[in-house]
Amino acid sequence: MNFIQYILQNRGQVLELTLEHLWLVGVSTLLATVMGVPMGIAIAHRRGLDKPVLAGANIIQTIPSLALFGFLLPVPWLGARADRLAILALTLYALLPVIRNTYTGIRGVDPAVVEAGRGMGLTESQLLFQVELPLAVSVILSGVRVAIVISVGLATIAAAIGAGGLGEFIFRGLAMVNNQLILAGAIPAALLALSADVGVGWLERRLRPR
Amino acid sequence: MLDEVPAIQFRDVAYSVRGVPVISGLNLRVRRGETLVLLGRSGSGKTTALKLVNRLLTPSAGEVRVNGVANGQDVVRLRRGIGYVIQEVGLFPHFSVERNIGLVPRIEGWPEAKIRARVAELLRAVGLEAKITSRYPHELSGGQRQRVGVARALAADPAILLMDEPFGALDPLTRDELQREFLSLQQRLHKTVVFVTHDLREALRLGTRIALMEAGRLVSVLSPEEFLRSTEPWVLAYVRAFGEGPQSSAIRGSL
Amino acid sequence: MMNHRQRKVSVAPVRVSGKTPCGPQPNSIVPVLTIAILLLTSCSPSHSNRIVIGSKNFTESMILGEVMAQEIEARAHLKVERRFYLAGTYICHQAILAGRIDVYPEYTGTAVTAILKSKPSGDRAAVYGQVKSEYEHHLELTLGPAFGFNDTFAMEIRGEDARRLNIRTLSQAAALTPQWRAGFGYEFMERPDGYRGLATVYGLHFAGPPRIMDLGLLARALQNHQIDLAAGNATDGLIPALDLFVLEDDRHYFPPYEAVPVIRLQTLRQHPEVASALAELADKISDEEMQRLNFAVDGQRRDVQQVVREFLQKKGLIQ
Repeated sequence: MNFIQYILQNRGQVLELTLEHLWLVGVSTLLATVMGVPMGIAIAHRRGLDKPVLAGANIIQTIPSLALFGFLLPVPWLGARADRLAILALTLYALLPVIRNTYTGIRGVDPAVVEAGRGMGLTESQLLFQVELPLAVSVILSGVRVAIVISVGLATIAAAIGAGGLGEFIFRGLAMVNNQLILAGAIPAALLALSADVGVGWLERRLRPR
Repeated sequence: MLDEVPAIQFRDVAYSVRGVPVISGLNLRVRRGETLVLLGRSGSGKTTALKLVNRLLTPSAGEVRVNGVANGQDVVRLRRGIGYVIQEVGLFPHFSVERNIGLVPRIEGWPEAKIRARVAELLRAVGLEAKITSRYPHELSGGQRQRVGVARALAADPAILLMDEPFGALDPLTRDELQREFLSLQQRLHKTVVFVTHDLREALRLGTRIALMEAGRLVSVLSPEEFLRSTEPWVLAYVRAFGEGPQSSAIRGSL
Repeated sequence: MMNHRQRKVSVAPVRVSGKTPCGPQPNSIVPVLTIAILLLTSCSPSHSNRIVIGSKNFTESMILGEVMAQEIEARAHLKVERRFYLAGTYICHQAILAGRIDVYPEYTGTAVTAILKSKPSGDRAAVYGQVKSEYEHHLELTLGPAFGFNDTFAMEIRGEDARRLNIRTLSQAAALTPQWRAGFGYEFMERPDGYRGLATVYGLHFAGPPRIMDLGLLARALQNHQIDLAAGNATDGLIPALDLFVLEDDRHYFPPYEAVPVIRLQTLRQHPEVASALAELADKISDEEMQRLNFAVDGQRRDVQQVVREFLQKKGLIQ
């Protein structure tokens, strides 16, 4: 039977692994956004912080993912649970796109607009929430989109250390030399990444300032 | 007028950036209800002086007083009471005209109906049609945008208006229109205006007094007529640069 | 004409109101996004109406997994999902801790050394008790009754060599190791209860470093004289088939490796019938029977489900 029949026959398991995958991606992207956006705002407003922070996030990105999973395994509380570890690693990898895009988005706001706003008596927080963020939101979302797509891919590798998700199909399929299993993992994962890309991309376009 | 508190006062104000002086020894009084033009070439410090009034910049020495009070405290409240118009206009692209103009009244908590009425009133005052309220800045021409900018600055009815080369980016015809409308508005509103420009003709037309700045120092403060007749070297140089002579009439007040 | 005097707003009492204008126009997007994110993050996996059985990535583990699956389906009448061929002890352990699987087959020796990272406390019964107690107290897991065989590491040599050199034990073989090449799987190389300890206890010194290869290839490499000693499993189906000889562990280096089901305590609470189903399997598979099952799947390449069904039927465990 081809892999579509396999997926249909085992749809319970496919669904379960997909949900596990979404859990890994969802939590890590959320954490990366919650941490990364404020960091991006902070370095956009303060000169001198931008280079070290962006460089740091960049270094994390260059570590091969499987190696990072391996480093973190012996760490006491983290390594005890593979999904915890995977979520941490995925969050770290998602940080760079979020921070960098937030920084670019905020810096990209027309300085005349910011000056006019400040001159009119907007507080710094009003300026941030009513002017800078709304104008930067499309660029920030673009960073979140990249983070999600990266995470979907990395989460498949996380199955190698026991975090579950669609990667498990792939690894089991490789071990048993079973193509259907491999595809049952690979195709849904690719579809996940694609739909996230398209979906968030649509949102970006809708929120782009005229 | 009696000896009243000046709307704005610079007392021995200096401003430097990383050790380089941009303004030094500035002493200047702006009277209530006058239009004081800060005139000078680029780098003369005129824009810097303007920004010291609403504390977008902080003096390195000396004191700036607004309505008799040093302006270093509660900067946000200070700025809400001062209208600010800049050359690039700086309208919020994601707000409609109505929300741009109504911004300060809204954050001051005015009731909606009052805000809408105020916006309509201001649009009339700056010569724009009422139906423009739902448009967005990118749909407006340069002239329309700057009119909205002025309306926005006037929305909360501030006593003081700061204008930094507001008409500099417009074509000559539109600039002429807006200058005339400014004069007409001023006749009705009598705001205290500090107006920055490098254009002598604009200064002569709009200012009750002209403060000439050069290299961060105040050279002279003169009425337009005095300015044209003055023999001070920098003033003369400026007048000559613009091809004006004592024979040209100060267009002050002519619409 | 503008009546500005009527509009005069004093600057002094400034009230920064909470009624601020909303930011971007799509106000409806924010609640939608929030809901979407909340949904995503609540996808935390859980399944209460099925039993998920895992297994490691080799034939014997899969056979045991299938045995348990069919028994639970027949006895407990529960729907069983199979997640077989998970890549190793750590993966299975993580999966059961996280609740992604409910049951999987483990070996007591492996649980002691590789998972609990401690030392085996004695003989088969003692080690079983040690693991069960640790699992129940700290990991929310427990052990079912043992299946009945001891799949310890088997140090295999060719039958002809054993007869020719007249050796039966590892101690006797130790003297010959400088002339031999060894082949091991990676788990055996890396585990604390693997090669390192063995070489120390018996004084093994091989000619070169041991070759590391897939478990499935070791027996053939031995047969083809590519290696002279292999670390296989005691229940390997190829041992009788290829005339291989298992050297005796006379110094009792290897801990017992009784095959047992590992079960989540939560699963037992929700489905106590699982316990009774697994109890039926206690002591039902001997070393020889496991070897034959392994050979049927590995050597004869028969379908696992078929092989297991026949075996359970023959034993009278299912219809």
